[in-house]
Amino acid sequence: MIVSLDWLADYVDLPAVDSLTERLLLSGLNHESTKSVHDDTAVDLEVTSNRSDCLGHIGVAREVSVLFQQPLKIPTASLSHTEEAHSVSVNIDSTEFCPFYSARVIRGVKVGESPEWLARRLEAVGIASVNNIVDVTNYVMLECGQPLHAFDLNRLRGEEITVRRAQEGELFVAINHREYELNSEMCVIADARQAVAIAGVMGGAETEIRSETVDVFIESAQFAPLPVRYAARTLVLGSQSSYRFERGPDPAAVEWASCRAVSLILEIAGGSLVSPPVRVGKLNSSQATVDLRMHRVEEVLGVSIPSQRQREILQSLGFVEQDSSAEVSRWLVPSWRRDCTREVDLIEEVARIEGYDVVPEDVPITALPVQRSSRERLVRIVSETCVAAGFCEAMTRSVVGDNFEKFNSPWGTAPALICRPPLVQGADRLRRTLLPSLLEARESSLSSGASHGDLFEIAHCYLGCDRKSEMPKDNAPIEEPLLLGLVTGGDFFRGKGLAAAIFERLGIHEWASEEVPKEHSGNNFGVTYHPLNSTIMQQGRSAEILFHAPGVVSRRVGVIGEFSKEFMGMCKSEKQSVGVEIRLDGLEFLMNCESNLSSPSSYPSIDRDINLVVDESVSWGSLRTAIESTQCDELEDVQFGGIWRDEDRLGRGKKSVIVSVRLRSCRETLSAEQANSFVEAMISICQTRLGAVLRG
Amino acid sequence: MTNFNLDAFVADLESLRSEVEQTLSKVSDVESLETARVAFLGAKNGRLKAIQKGLSKLGREDKPAGGKQFNAIKKTVESLFSQTSVRMESPSKGAKAIEQIDVTLPGSSIRFGSVHPITQTIRRVSSIMSNLGFEVVDGPEVEDQWHNFEALAIPDEHPARDPLDNFYINVANFDRPVLLRSQTSTVQIRVMEHRKPPLRIVSLGRVYRPDTADATHYPMFHQVEGLLIEPGTTMAHLKSVLRSFASSFLGGDVRVRFRPSFFPFTEPSVEVDMEWNGRWIEMGGAGMVDPAVLASVGYDPNEVCGFAFGLGVERIAARRFGVADIRDFYRNDIRFLEQFHDRGQA
Repeated sequence: MIVSLDWLADYVDLPAVDSLTERLLLSGLNHESTKSVHDDTAVDLEVTSNRSDCLGHIGVAREVSVLFQQPLKIPTASLSHTEEAHSVSVNIDSTEFCPFYSARVIRGVKVGESPEWLARRLEAVGIASVNNIVDVTNYVMLECGQPLHAFDLNRLRGEEITVRRAQEGELFVAINHREYELNSEMCVIADARQAVAIAGVMGGAETEIRSETVDVFIESAQFAPLPVRYAARTLVLGSQSSYRFERGPDPAAVEWASCRAVSLILEIAGGSLVSPPVRVGKLNSSQATVDLRMHRVEEVLGVSIPSQRQREILQSLGFVEQDSSAEVSRWLVPSWRRDCTREVDLIEEVARIEGYDVVPEDVPITALPVQRSSRERLVRIVSETCVAAGFCEAMTRSVVGDNFEKFNSPWGTAPALICRPPLVQGADRLRRTLLPSLLEARESSLSSGASHGDLFEIAHCYLGCDRKSEMPKDNAPIEEPLLLGLVTGGDFFRGKGLAAAIFERLGIHEWASEEVPKEHSGNNFGVTYHPLNSTIMQQGRSAEILFHAPGVVSRRVGVIGEFSKEFMGMCKSEKQSVGVEIRLDGLEFLMNCESNLSSPSSYPSIDRDINLVVDESVSWGSLRTAIESTQCDELEDVQFGGIWRDEDRLGRGKKSVIVSVRLRSCRETLSAEQANSFVEAMISICQTRLGAVLRG
Repeated sequence: MTNFNLDAFVADLESLRSEVEQTLSKVSDVESLETARVAFLGAKNGRLKAIQKGLSKLGREDKPAGGKQFNAIKKTVESLFSQTSVRMESPSKGAKAIEQIDVTLPGSSIRFGSVHPITQTIRRVSSIMSNLGFEVVDGPEVEDQWHNFEALAIPDEHPARDPLDNFYINVANFDRPVLLRSQTSTVQIRVMEHRKPPLRIVSLGRVYRPDTADATHYPMFHQVEGLLIEPGTTMAHLKSVLRSFASSFLGGDVRVRFRPSFFPFTEPSVEVDMEWNGRWIEMGGAGMVDPAVLASVGYDPNEVCGFAFGLGVERIAARRFGVADIRDFYRNDIRFLEQFHDRGQA
């Protein structure tokens, strides 16, 4: 709301500009800017959506009068001598859209330029002067907050004006001379032939005031906020009028504005008023009464304000005390303050006029111990691990383009949810994995010359549920797994190394098989790696990671792999990259697990390399499983020692795998003979289970 | 005089040692090493031999000390020769001489990553709040209208619910409309629905509003919202907590200022400013929890009360790190991200 100080001074004596804007700022009208326009000063004030009373100069003047304790002078708007003649009748089709409509007709006006004072005041507040009739309607709106509209009476067809819903597809040419297609959620003012205005939003070109207009029809009405807002938003046709109707002008101003406008037109443009005025419908003007318990002010604000001062503030704001005792006072809320309906609203009025600087700022709250949640700690540890591994944290958008729709998510089969409007142009699918956004970010970093493109992100993805039964009880039927995504250059093993490091940091080891291994390392949680079939990742060079815990069904906890060519193409990525995605929700419990510590053995170890020739199809995992299945307490560690292929020496389809084992007892120093017998047992189980042959 | 003699004797020994060091550092082959050995350690005319003769000229009482010094230096010098001789022999055995390193060459690089500035800011804010007894909570980003609007006293006709001002999501087989949450107050409602007062929580995370992206807006951003529900809470507690927060965040004793404002879920509602380098800057919105909100989660507004506040993380982060355009936070350019070194403040 831009306020002209010259204009404002009509209603209240003003202090210096700075002191005025400072006080208004601290009582609820935020000061945006001040600028000089000719001899005047225009002050832009931000008016919160509950304070429609301040969308006119009189409302702002009332605030000034209360804050600076100056009398408020509101001009009277009364009309005298009128010519009796019936002219137009108005019919309201939809009282829901328009509870009350009033109109006055002036015949014989002389349309022309506005007097200088009027044109200047409008200019100061940023409104272009049109002609004396239109200018008066704008002036009165900016004075009291009630929008008006002036029609050229002789261009209205027929004898009756109707306020009705627009017809579906009805066409309307607004005063900006552009055509709009309306629908039945909008409300129009119509003559016998067509819509002549979109109610509360904008008038039509056909009936606008022109230089040859002689008879005018001045509308002042109440329109419901929702249809006005809907029409203004849908047609992108917001106006000063729609802005005010959306917020609800003072009901008492409907009639006042009409009279005020008529008297100004008669004064400026001449003509004679036809009576009686048209008044249709019932003005929605209910006024609330609110009880205020005087002690409540201190209970809410934390500072005492004497009840006499509380009364003084409310009275000066226009509240009328109706009944009171020492403890409770009853107030009739002024018509322009329909935002005040409850005791707490009155307390806020007292507080904002008294000023919040009286509220103390040194009242302690009691100390309360809090703990970081396991989710917070989990995220923190994972993030620290990624940073230590050289990754920068990214924050990518939660929504991606539909071009990723053909790639499946590691986390569910339901199609991506669609948001309307799109988050940004071209991105309307709630993501089901972080990897596309991360790979794109990696590519754009690398192409802009960054020293590396190693990125991680910890964020949610969004999964629709396929079946109703999967709906979480109290939430929307959407699952939001918390994911860690990583992208980096290199091959599968770089990815697996990262995943393994993160799992190790969380106390999860790689198990050789899905069976719970013999407990030697502290806890009972493990992961295993299995070939993955995914369109995002290269088949044969990617894995799913299964999480195992005793007594719980194993579940997918992550995927790793080199990205597929097709997926890389979609992300405009050329260099081979590898991605890891790990589902963190569900792992929070690990943060509360204590590990079982054991004292390291003080006896020396014996390390042996076992060189086994096996079929190509025998995996390292199955060899490790076989060796661990010997139940040898002295087996401390099994490591992969290397792989070697030679068709001539090993045979076709064979490979030689070196298994490095470390043997150690916690009771004695192992002898070479003992070690040999353990190793022999290991070789023999590999032979029987996997057809392994010891390479001589 | 005898003392002088001892001092002179020791000085001779010292200068011999440093000469040996200098000479040997320049020796590059076995021949020159041998020449040096003869010059210093030669049995007939070696320098050491000459100094040894001086030992006998020392006074009786100085002889033991002189002898001790002589033996020590002799041992040092001999060991210097044997080290050099090892150095000389190595090349002949096929290994290279120890390479003299240009210590100004770069070391093997160890690269650390970085935590996103938005995360750093969130951690800092939540760490300060947890020192004040607030527990960090989170909740779903896709919300229903009850938690995003109705329970927060935002009625159906409120402009904030306009479909054009929210990201609504179409979900098959679901009868209620859902949307990407436009504020993290939703989490506060969820916590209040399941827990009884007293409560101190901060909810934080991503929120979404259809703003056109520019230097100060992005359709996805982060909010931190605090809620305290305890009997006898007043706006004085709110102001004091925010002042503690601002002082801890900015350092020093920072003043805060309330300006009246309007939010559906608080009454009274205020904008909070904090004084930063002599200027008032907007920190966020706050207020006493609206009785309608308390009633909507099943609390009795006559029995309990509390305050709530919300901070825009991007705005704080932009100011703290001197980032002029908040879109930079979402470009994910590593050249931008790697500059934000965690200062361990949270």
